[in-house]
Amino acid sequence: MSTAELYTQPARLPVARSLGASLVILVAAVALIGPLLIPGDPLAQSLLKALSGPEATAPLGYDHLGRSVFHRLCAALMLSPLIALAAVLTAGAAGLILGTLSAAMGGWVDTVLTTLADALLALPGLLLVLIVLAMVPGTATGFWIGLSLVLWVEFYRLTRAATREVLVSPSVEAARLLGFRAPYIFRTHVWPEIAPLMLTTAAFGIATAIMAIAALGFVHVGMRAPTPELGLMMVELLPYWREAPLALLSPAIATFALLLGLTLLAGSRET
Amino acid sequence: MSFLTATDITVRDGAQTLLEPLSLTVTPGEPLIILGETGSGKSLMAQAIMGTLPAGLRAQGEVRIGAHTLSASEPRRFRGLWGREISVLPQEPWLSLDPLMRAGTQVTEAHRLVRGLSAADAKARASSDLGQLGLTAAARHYPHQLSGGMAQRVAIAAARAGGAGIVIADEPTKGLDAARRDDVADLLLSEMGDNGGLLVITHDLALARRMGGQMIVLRQGKVVETGATETVMSAAREAYTRALLAADPESWTRRAPSRRDGPPVVDVHGLSVARGGRELFSGVGFDVAAGGVFGITGPSGCGKSTLGDAVLGLVAPAAGTVTRRADIGPHGFQKLYQDPVAAFPRKRRLGETLNDVARMTGESARVAPLLEQLGLSPTLLERRPGAVSGGELQRLSILRALLRRPALIFADEPTSRLDPITQARVIGMLGEIAMTEGTAILLVSHDAALVRNTADAVLPLGKTVLPEPQPDAASVATAPH
Repeated sequence: MSTAELYTQPARLPVARSLGASLVILVAAVALIGPLLIPGDPLAQSLLKALSGPEATAPLGYDHLGRSVFHRLCAALMLSPLIALAAVLTAGAAGLILGTLSAAMGGWVDTVLTTLADALLALPGLLLVLIVLAMVPGTATGFWIGLSLVLWVEFYRLTRAATREVLVSPSVEAARLLGFRAPYIFRTHVWPEIAPLMLTTAAFGIATAIMAIAALGFVHVGMRAPTPELGLMMVELLPYWREAPLALLSPAIATFALLLGLTLLAGSRET
Repeated sequence: MSFLTATDITVRDGAQTLLEPLSLTVTPGEPLIILGETGSGKSLMAQAIMGTLPAGLRAQGEVRIGAHTLSASEPRRFRGLWGREISVLPQEPWLSLDPLMRAGTQVTEAHRLVRGLSAADAKARASSDLGQLGLTAAARHYPHQLSGGMAQRVAIAAARAGGAGIVIADEPTKGLDAARRDDVADLLLSEMGDNGGLLVITHDLALARRMGGQMIVLRQGKVVETGATETVMSAAREAYTRALLAADPESWTRRAPSRRDGPPVVDVHGLSVARGGRELFSGVGFDVAAGGVFGITGPSGCGKSTLGDAVLGLVAPAAGTVTRRADIGPHGFQKLYQDPVAAFPRKRRLGETLNDVARMTGESARVAPLLEQLGLSPTLLERRPGAVSGGELQRLSILRALLRRPALIFADEPTSRLDPITQARVIGMLGEIAMTEGTAILLVSHDAALVRNTADAVLPLGKTVLPEPQPDAASVATAPH
């Protein structure tokens, strides 16, 4: 061991990560606490107020159908992040289990799973989500299943690669010789190595999922109106950008803040 | 005239002093050896002289390289001298060569970009350099097609291409066997010639002896002794230097045999192992007696570690049998690794790892006495593997293996990454364990002297097919190589 390795650099303050966490917490706080402080219905229409500016009961003004943009935004910020979170949890669990199995068993299990993952990877993610949306009744369920199908591949590949490396290391060989069994080896050798990777991938995965839901909403093939959804809100308000710029900017800024926050939180892929 | 003079070099990490004021002079034609154990500050000193200290460490002092005078506190200003005035010989040449570039191209590149020759001149110089090193044919090869020694020579050619008069070799023989070590020493000496400067940083006493020249012995950032290498090595003034020299396996006294009578722990018969379609060895047979130390030695790549793995059942043999004594349980064979850091879970405290083992084997009560027996401080258990020295970690590996009450411990190059004093200590402990616990030790090392002075019986493993030795292990010790 060279002497240099003994003196590691002082850890750089994770400014980016704290900033990312603050952004995500801020957006979540608005979505959760906002409707409690200023009660309102995201679907209630008042055509007289269409496109009018902010007021006490609607801090971000009204959209073209006279619905409170603030309350629609809060509802939208609850919807897609929740679907995204559910999809990432499912995909993460599936990727972790299948990746570990693949690395530990090798042979035909590994071949079959890797081929499947590669095949899915060759398909554009949004297309896969669209296919599932067409087959599954219920848009939210469709998004959840479709996004899980897209996202598990990355978890699987990372888990498989990292686990394979750990499993051939002397530390695992020593543990096996000492008589430790697979659950212990996973808990003490494999999981500590892949946990940081998993968290980073999860943050990226949530961002990807939110983006996918918004993108499909924006081209009218995702969530159906009148559901408040970020992409759908943007495309609905786009024709009125001159009359109600704030109404259009609010979902755009909220989406941007959320995605930036998640990306910063994920940090670099090297960690 | 001296090539390189460093005056009062110090290295600090915040308030902590890692290297106390050190001055040295490298004169042309005479190598300067910096000898010290791991953590003695010898690599830090080289980095301070080169201006390549890791971020966070501060150096002070004055460095004169040729006609340039620089301050060690301004590492940026050294950059212009790299390759042209002063160059570093990489530790492990295979890792420092570009795997995607032919050997000749790598040397040409250095001539062209560092020395600034035209493309044609650079190519001509590179091929003549390689020709002088006996590498004409190797110029068209990629690094993976070169042997270790050839890769080392290519790395030397590339390091020297910039025309640097001073070469710093940091542990040039790390991980090499005795024959290759001598080759490297001779090569360094011949490359230095009569007017080159050479600074060798090492813990390898055999290398130091072969290089000669001047020597500085370092310990914990302080200079212990300086003088001509020959004088220091034959008549050391300081107690520490004498301890360091005595730790050389060549000068160990032979350990008394400790093998016990009774059926052997393991009986190997007609064993052949192939890896990647290549037969490593065939027809190997021996047996290991309880309480005995059985040594296997040979040049790197001869398959001696694989032989040990085959005995443990980690590698499937192509032919032959490995028979354990009938009463030995499935976990009765344990292993010590060359790199003890890699043998522990990286992110877990050592105490937790040991407790897990002790709980599983029901030997919790033995941890404390074993710590004491192996001379380990209980505070080490609070740390993670990366924060403990190699020698301590190897002793903790021994402790961990003993918690299984093994019948045999396969020690795979257990001390090749340790300094001589620690090496002597760890090997001594292994011998003691064989004696007191009755555990058989299968000791694999490239260091023939170490094995010869430790083992009751030795199996020399070469590239040739071995004749089947007599079943009596003691007779194997005298088997012709």
